[in-house]
Amino acid sequence: MSRPLDFKLYVITGENYHPGRSMAEVMEAALRGGADIVQLRDKESPKRELIEKAKRLKELTAKYGVPLIVNDHPDVALAADADGVHLGQDDLPIEAARELLGPRRIIGISTHRIEQARAAERAGADYIGVGPVYPTGTKPGRQAVTTAYVAQAAAEIRIPFVAIGGITESNAEEVLRAGARRLCAVSAIVGYADPESVCRNLLEKINAWSLGEQAVVPASLPISVAQTLPERRDVREIALTVNGRSERTQAATLLELAAQYKLEGRSVVADLDGAVVPRQLWGETPLQGGCSVEFVHFVGGG
Amino acid sequence: MEMNTIVQDGMVIGGRKLKSRFFLGTGRFPSPAVFLRALEASGAEVITFAVRRINLDNYEDDGVLQHVADRELIYLPNTSGAGNADEAVRIARLARAAGLGNWIKVEISGNPRTLLPDPFETLKATERLANEGFTVLSYTSDDPALCRRLEDAGAAAVMPGGAPIGTGLGILNPYNLSLIAEEARVPVIVDAGLGSAGDAVQAMELGADGILANTPVSKAVDPVAMARAMRLAIEAGRLSRLAGRIPRKRYASASSEPGGRLFIPEAWEGKT
Repeated sequence: MSRPLDFKLYVITGENYHPGRSMAEVMEAALRGGADIVQLRDKESPKRELIEKAKRLKELTAKYGVPLIVNDHPDVALAADADGVHLGQDDLPIEAARELLGPRRIIGISTHRIEQARAAERAGADYIGVGPVYPTGTKPGRQAVTTAYVAQAAAEIRIPFVAIGGITESNAEEVLRAGARRLCAVSAIVGYADPESVCRNLLEKINAWSLGEQAVVPASLPISVAQTLPERRDVREIALTVNGRSERTQAATLLELAAQYKLEGRSVVADLDGAVVPRQLWGETPLQGGCSVEFVHFVGGG
Repeated sequence: MEMNTIVQDGMVIGGRKLKSRFFLGTGRFPSPAVFLRALEASGAEVITFAVRRINLDNYEDDGVLQHVADRELIYLPNTSGAGNADEAVRIARLARAAGLGNWIKVEISGNPRTLLPDPFETLKATERLANEGFTVLSYTSDDPALCRRLEDAGAAAVMPGGAPIGTGLGILNPYNLSLIAEEARVPVIVDAGLGSAGDAVQAMELGADGILANTPVSKAVDPVAMARAMRLAIEAGRLSRLAGRIPRKRYASASSEPGGRLFIPEAWEGKT
């Protein structure tokens, strides 16, 4: 790499969260809002199409001087001249990816516990993802690692780490308090009608914490935070009513709840405590204990 | 040719010009395929739906919309299941959030056995929804004063019932219905209780502007044939209404001139 990698707000594409709006339009809004690293994630498209998407996105991110990372595929990253690749724990090992990509491109990897984070650092990753901090519709079924793991990573990991998974404007503070200084979001940004303002708000929170740290407790904060946190924290779970039924959920937002019932992408309308919630706001609509949600659709009738 | 132009005379509801006077319900058809063929046969431009909770345990996309997505139709969701104005307004807002237009059929039942509309709540909901910008079609009792109040509250059409929903009893109070049709300044769509094409003809002859039918079509032995029969009946009834029926008389009047007849029957002595 020509310069040390750093960033604050990592935005990942999620085309299924913004039907009717193009990826370019949504990502440009995020970039205008201050996203300073972008990842193309698309588990559906064939590689040829993926390369085309990556090229278009690269043009856009280059305009803003922001690196473009491709999820999963080093070959696509190379073909589109992207700035790097993001790997999962089951993908190509970091060493093998480095062989393919050379020393100058960025390699990041998702980690779910501290052993994986240490291994990634040793293997030469440029950054790691730490998550999912909260349950998320983007990775349904994956156990949330909670802010406890964020605090561990903050205390110990020296390469940049980015907290990811179910992070929204409403819980960002909690993640920053645990020691994260870089946040990543998918649905909470691209699933929202105005990604630009969400990005601005998230950045403002990140900056507030970063500045506070420099001014008041330089360098020592992450460790002290880690020490004040309990060893394990239970995942937040709330009781609520869904379609008249008493349920418990770890979902933090309406979007995550919809994902839990596999309703994303279906013709369903949602109502929270008596008020309709437009679909593009599901991702940033937090759920409180005791709330009542209705998911409805049209059936035959006269 | 002239007949065609008369039959095709349109009506306007909420600024939309409708060629067909037949509104078709979508409930209780034997299958989506039968529904689609019945829709074709009906010529209907407006179809109705209900709003229901999805099944959380087993959600397949059994919504009725997927079958008609490629057609140019006006969607008329109803507020069935609402027992008061608040519930109806809530259902209407949910329906509008589906993004398929702003028409709503206010349907508020006060009694689970008859499903007859609750007039007070219907009036309240009509007023509130009209103020929120909905095109409101109010399912109502066949009461002329109430229909007038609904109009004043902003209803784009009134939908008096012929008989309780699904009973097939036909038009129980033709006199009231004719009064409503006579006085209304918005279209009158007879909704509920019809049994067959004959009832549709009667409603149209009484002056209705259109018919909403669901059960008489979907539960007919042959729904597709009944959809066509209803369509023809609505046209026939409309045409008959416009053509002008003769007045009812107590005694016969012969179709032929009396002059030049060959005989005068003895039994007629003193009775002509």
